[in-house]
Amino acid sequence: MKENEPDALARTTRINLLFDFYESLLTEKQRTILTYYYHDDFSLGEIASEFGISRQAVYDNIKRAEGALESYEEKLSLLEKHERLMRLADKLEQDVNAIVTNEWDKRSLIEAIGQFRAAEGTAKEGGESSWQHLKA
Amino acid sequence: MAVRIRLKRMGAHKAPFYRVVVSDSRSPRDGRFIEEIGTYNPVAQPAQVNIDEEKALKWLQTGAQASDTVRNLLSKAGVLKKFHELKQQK
Repeated sequence: MKENEPDALARTTRINLLFDFYESLLTEKQRTILTYYYHDDFSLGEIASEFGISRQAVYDNIKRAEGALESYEEKLSLLEKHERLMRLADKLEQDVNAIVTNEWDKRSLIEAIGQFRAAEGTAKEGGESSWQHLKA
Repeated sequence: MAVRIRLKRMGAHKAPFYRVVVSDSRSPRDGRFIEEIGTYNPVAQPAQVNIDEEKALKWLQTGAQASDTVRNLLSKAGVLKKFHELKQQK
């Protein structure tokens, strides 16, 4: 795992995103193990002892689940489309801010873009505001 | 009892965001942790890494094990280098 260090984080992020999109298509067991591995950052060894299976079995399970996620993405491209839409929304917002001078128009356009983002399932800041409800 | 430093996923659906937390290796996924020492936002361009260096060093020096992904973040933030330098001074 050490050799590909620069990529490990990018990989974690990608699988986490794919998991958000296609989670419901995986088996119960795959979902559980991926949640431990990618949401909670448990090591293979820790997951193995948690479930009383071998480290190798955990590894195989994760690899298979990742393969499934990638193959769904290959066929459906939901993540790719989502990212493209988000980039467009950002661009649109920048343009509105730069071009529209009437404050009233600007506000209603920005609000419309916000609704567009919400419909795509993402609040503007992926952080602070959106995880408050998880803490409760 | 082993203490681990891990990433804990937060954030909205389709917008991952992580906290870097120190937790007991035997308190599985109930969300409890000992201390939060930073955050990581991979969706921001460029990705934002925020680490409380003092706390991170304190935990590393007391023998907390960082996960592979956290080691990655720590080395990115230059914390691991400092840790090794401090170790050599002793």
